[in-house]
Amino acid sequence: MRLAVFLPELVRHLFKKPATVDYPFKKLEVPKDFRGTPFLHPDICIACRACERDCPAEAIEITAVSDVEKKFKMIIHNDRCVHCAQCVDSCPTNPVKAMEMDHLFELACFDRHDLKMEWIFVRALPKKEPKPAAPAAGPAPS
Amino acid sequence: MKFNIPIGPQHPALKEPISLRMTVEGEVIRDVDIRLGYNHRGLEKLAEERSFIQCIYLTERICGICSHSHATCFVQGVEKLMEIEPPKRGAYIRYLVAELERIHSHLLWLGVAGHEAGFDSFFMYTWRDREVVMDLLEMISGNRVHYAMNTIGGVRRDLDEAMVKKILDGIQVLRTRSEFYFKIGANEPTFVGRLAGVGYLSKQQAIDLCAVGPTARASGITADVRKDDPHAVYDEVPFDVCTADSCDVLGRTVVRIKELMESYKICEFLLKNLPAGQIAVKAPKRAKPNEVVSRYEAPRGENIHYIKSNGTEKPERLKVRAPTLANYPAAVEMLKNGFIADIPLIFAAIDPCICCAERTVELVNARTGEDRVLRFSQLRALAAKRSKNLPVQRNAVWPF
Repeated sequence: MRLAVFLPELVRHLFKKPATVDYPFKKLEVPKDFRGTPFLHPDICIACRACERDCPAEAIEITAVSDVEKKFKMIIHNDRCVHCAQCVDSCPTNPVKAMEMDHLFELACFDRHDLKMEWIFVRALPKKEPKPAAPAAGPAPS
Repeated sequence: MKFNIPIGPQHPALKEPISLRMTVEGEVIRDVDIRLGYNHRGLEKLAEERSFIQCIYLTERICGICSHSHATCFVQGVEKLMEIEPPKRGAYIRYLVAELERIHSHLLWLGVAGHEAGFDSFFMYTWRDREVVMDLLEMISGNRVHYAMNTIGGVRRDLDEAMVKKILDGIQVLRTRSEFYFKIGANEPTFVGRLAGVGYLSKQQAIDLCAVGPTARASGITADVRKDDPHAVYDEVPFDVCTADSCDVLGRTVVRIKELMESYKICEFLLKNLPAGQIAVKAPKRAKPNEVVSRYEAPRGENIHYIKSNGTEKPERLKVRAPTLANYPAAVEMLKNGFIADIPLIFAAIDPCICCAERTVELVNARTGEDRVLRFSQLRALAAKRSKNLPVQRNAVWPF
């Protein structure tokens, strides 16, 4: 046991760059699968309301604007959103999801109502699953 | 002459604000009265109005540090209720994240212990290294704090080869750093002298007061849910339960550093034996009427969730027993006959996240009703002064 065992480490770090990043001027990159804010592809959405049902923060609101035209309005309350991406998981559209997350994380603003995002769209028809190609005909049984 | 010191209950950055009323004689604490219930969020009631899927994200938000612990504990229970099992790969990834979370929690605690003991450079270096594991968790799950990895019947995100390699590299970096900290702890007499003998909790007291987690293990009890009641993958993974016999804050530090080493071992085992296949199975929406108790070893100790279902898609009752609650009676016993200047250190040692809060201590003269208010920074200055005047405990040794 001796005194000041930590000292060599401290001296070594005098000549190293700081571990922190100069934030507003330099930004770290977020990973590929980062969960930012959710957004909608209105041309694919089939208005099944699965995201509205599963959202734990009740941040998604879907209302019918016109029943005749099959027009819907979706509001995402980003002030309530907890960024769990459950809406993306619940979305049944395939292979491109109608709900997706972007990489935005600097969401601060002066009024929480500015965070509201809304889309008015005509419901897309659910695409049918492409049938698996018929197996190639084997040699005819003799 | 006896004084009464109320501490709390308002600690803005605290998950569980509590009020401690201490009766002191001079600088020595004679009695502690603990009052709870200042941060009642109505979470259990809220869970009754949420579906099982929504409840995962709700339980995740019980705690910020061990968010995965609560979500996993809940999901384990719900999976038992629904009679489904996560596929092997899903389970491996789930408990890999659990161990990474344990690493980040213990590194955080080590820094806090260094900070409370007046060893601030130690605090900064451990927290810098903690960023390595935080970045790994962000890469796996897409977020630094609330990982949201669990879903009923498995996990939500898969690992690929590049990720596995990155995690293994990160663990290697952390292992060398942790070995360095272990060496520092063993060789720095001021650090060891400050922690040794503070917050004594004998083995018998720890058993009587039902202490859990590192607090119990530092008193020589081999209690670990991962070993006692192996859930999911823990019966396949080789690891040891770490204990210490010194029964004080030093022992709690040693237990946590040793557990870090075990967690690295577990992570490497899980990554090297990661089976191929599905990561989740499809789960039903409803659960049959039944009840279940789910146990999980969180970084702070045993976490218990009780879930009752009634055939609908919402739980009828959810009861959460977080490990900090189980450690309060032990904390009272530890504080008794200690010094006022040791309050931050002893309370930090049960890891209640109380240490990140700036708070006030009020000293009331029982005879005259006169009171003086101490800020937490002043309290820490007192602690630093006391440790400066403390004769270096030459006989205090780092228990290997």
